[in-house]
Amino acid sequence: MPKRRSSIKRSLLIVLFFFALGVLFVAAAFTLHLDAAVRERFEGKRFALPAKVYARPLELYPGLQLRPSELVAELALLGYRATSQPRDPATYRWGEQTLELVTRPFVFGDGPQAAISVRVEFHAGKVEKLLDLEKDQPLYLVRLDPALIGGIYPGDNEDRILVRLEEVPQKVVDALIAVEDRRFYSHRGIDPRGIARALVTTARGGAVQGGSTVTQQLVKNFYLTSERTLRRKFTEMVMAILLEVRYSKEEILETYLNEVYLAQDGNRAIHGIGLASSYFFDKPVGHLTVQEAALLVGMLKGPSYYSPRRHPQRALERRNLVLAQMAGEGYIGAEELRAARAAPLGVLERPPRGTSPHPAFLSLVHRQLRRDYRDQDLRSEGLQILTTLDPRVQRAAESALSRRLAQLENGRGMKSGTLQGALVVTSTQSAEVQAVVGGRDARVEGFNRALDARRPIGSLIKPVLYLTALQQAHSYTLATLLDDSPLVLKQAGSADWEPQNYDKAFHGQVPLRVALMNSYNVSAARLGLDVGIPRIMANVRLLGVERHLPEHPSSVLGVNALSPLEVAQIYQTIAGGGFRMPLRTIREVLTADGEPLQRYPLHVEQVVDPAPLHLVTVAMQDVVRQGTGRGLSAYLPPGVEVAAKTGTTNDFRDSWFAGFTGDRLAVAWVGRDDNQPAGLTGSSGAMTVWGEMMASLHPEPLILVPPDNIEYAWIDPASGLLSADWCRDAVQLPFIKGSAPTEPAPCGPRPPAGRSIRNWFKRIFE
Amino acid sequence: MKRVPFHLIPLLALLLFAGCAVPPAPEVRKPEPSANTAVVSLLSEAHAHKSAGRHEPAGASLERALRIEPRNPVLWQELALVRLEQGNYPQAENLAAKSNALAGDSRPLRAQNWRIIGEARSRRGDHQGAQAAFEQAGSR
Repeated sequence: MPKRRSSIKRSLLIVLFFFALGVLFVAAAFTLHLDAAVRERFEGKRFALPAKVYARPLELYPGLQLRPSELVAELALLGYRATSQPRDPATYRWGEQTLELVTRPFVFGDGPQAAISVRVEFHAGKVEKLLDLEKDQPLYLVRLDPALIGGIYPGDNEDRILVRLEEVPQKVVDALIAVEDRRFYSHRGIDPRGIARALVTTARGGAVQGGSTVTQQLVKNFYLTSERTLRRKFTEMVMAILLEVRYSKEEILETYLNEVYLAQDGNRAIHGIGLASSYFFDKPVGHLTVQEAALLVGMLKGPSYYSPRRHPQRALERRNLVLAQMAGEGYIGAEELRAARAAPLGVLERPPRGTSPHPAFLSLVHRQLRRDYRDQDLRSEGLQILTTLDPRVQRAAESALSRRLAQLENGRGMKSGTLQGALVVTSTQSAEVQAVVGGRDARVEGFNRALDARRPIGSLIKPVLYLTALQQAHSYTLATLLDDSPLVLKQAGSADWEPQNYDKAFHGQVPLRVALMNSYNVSAARLGLDVGIPRIMANVRLLGVERHLPEHPSSVLGVNALSPLEVAQIYQTIAGGGFRMPLRTIREVLTADGEPLQRYPLHVEQVVDPAPLHLVTVAMQDVVRQGTGRGLSAYLPPGVEVAAKTGTTNDFRDSWFAGFTGDRLAVAWVGRDDNQPAGLTGSSGAMTVWGEMMASLHPEPLILVPPDNIEYAWIDPASGLLSADWCRDAVQLPFIKGSAPTEPAPCGPRPPAGRSIRNWFKRIFE
Repeated sequence: MKRVPFHLIPLLALLLFAGCAVPPAPEVRKPEPSANTAVVSLLSEAHAHKSAGRHEPAGASLERALRIEPRNPVLWQELALVRLEQGNYPQAENLAAKSNALAGDSRPLRAQNWRIIGEARSRRGDHQGAQAAFEQAGSR
């Protein structure tokens, strides 16, 4: 039946038509989907950029204490080059007591700062004069660019320096094209000849491989997993074609050069030709030579297999092969080829620092940033973080800690590596953290003892105890006699508490000032029980430790465990005269383009009356003059008038020293990670680290300004009664107005009549 | 209304002062804020920012100066004034107190700090506290 047959034929045609339509539709949908994917990644931000973290910029001004060698160290950190005629940014010339330099432009929170050409004249360890070399006029203040001290990397730990194609030398592109994709400029994303070769290989049972154009490689790295199937290969080809339809050869090439993976530095992955040139040759991409370009391009085939640092011979052969192919394609001549092949690899033995040289400081910065920013943004937006790190202080702190610990181990026959330590250094009045050392090997990012090691603070609590007592001016003054006779505290449900002094003796009646100076425990414990533990702990909170701390009678002798950073916050408020300022590590955050995003301004809050705090601080100066900290004189001249406190815990497990000069505050801890006895007191351990570090930083003397309700009186220490300047052993002490004793000591002021007779005799006999 | 002749203004001012309960302030020459030229230049930079209403940059310049001279009470006072203008009264008050703590016996500086404290308190609605502060300013 012809009619019926034709109707079958017709319905078959219709089915076929719709099938074809369906296939076309699916193919179109697939293509559209891929096209959207291609565009999404390319239109948006192509790369996650790590946040860059900078040290404080060094500010030069006449009168600044700075030795020429210290400036040179700063310039080395900044990567300035010495030249005979400094003209370009980041160059300098060292003369006799003068330094000529051209700064590198930098965008600060207060706007961009152009390069400045300046002559710095030194005299007697100070900057004496600054001269603008272009305008030939004096300058009052010159801010250098800040040193990069690290990054906060994306989750995949990819690091890169983005480059524009114009910055990349032609040789790099030539080498890439000669080796990876000869027909790059003529194909449309895929190279049929390459595919044919790949298909043959696959048909022979080999792995699916080869034949990839640069465009395909970019697609593979950018969009796809590393799975090797025909289906994925097909997707890759479609996307490569789409990429070429959408974008120019230059854009594809530029993205490729920024994307490629070239090396591994610890857990940081080195991506892109920009970072690779700095990582292997310590130079910007524009300065690459032909053999260096050939080496980098050659490595693309297998970055670890051809690593010039681990397999130099292999890398050299690969480089020379690339050079030969470049010559084969006519990119370089025979002479250039010969010269390039003869050149050594020229790779820096050690890569320039990428991961931070100061991981302990960086981790504190990261913690503070995480309060205000999503971690994801920190790791991808290329934010610029301007911090308070002072590289000079950080270096001094690191070297003092590692050197002193080695010496302490040596001197005591300890196995090397037994001791550990931590240091936090801040500026006393602005509460900026200048240095953080988390362990003796400061380069290693590991357990950060400055932040995370909480140890009993021992006698470091005592300034807070005495402050609490002195806040009751009618009951306690620096002259008040405390009872240092045996004390037994019976506590229900636990063993009796019998505090002991370090010298295992009891000292009878001791002036409060002397009890703090010599760090007597028994009188301190009795005083603490009198004024009340809750009161003392409330002051700990006010001074800056907001974490809840358990309250025991022994809290008064420092049984509570704090980190060095927490101790620094307490002492910061003491050094600040009762004004609490949160410790800061960040000054401001800028976007990748240098737009100010956030400033972290100085914040002050008066939490404690300055007068009793002044008394405590004066007594802390006596700790260093005559008390447990007197050994500090081996490191610092007495004129610095340091105020400090030593701390030693049971069985010598922890050695602490916390104190401040006129300009810096530091907290040092020394002990063992396994919490075994270290055999050190606060003064034999931590104080030596503290002293050695401060000594190298020319500290400013601590000159206290007494609050206006402070008056001075002469006191007879033995009785705590009023004395006079002519009496033996009399000491002049500060008192809160009206709190000084009025009862005279045996030798002391007499009623007016008596005194005038005495003076009359005095006049006669003198 | 006739305008007051210029030469009478000082006289009028004198009469005005004489009418007040407080004795006329002796003429105080403003003390040089710092001997450090860098600090002086940062201070004038801060003043320029402040008079243009750019409070944050003014604060930033003052903080830069404070890093050079952290114990200079004038700088703390200037920062207090910036915060006062910004309406950050708690900080204005605390910064002025900080300036006082470093001012030693500089009377004009202390009086000005107490005035800032009084102003901050009164704008915050603490009139009793403000009164006490203004009395401190007057008594010095």
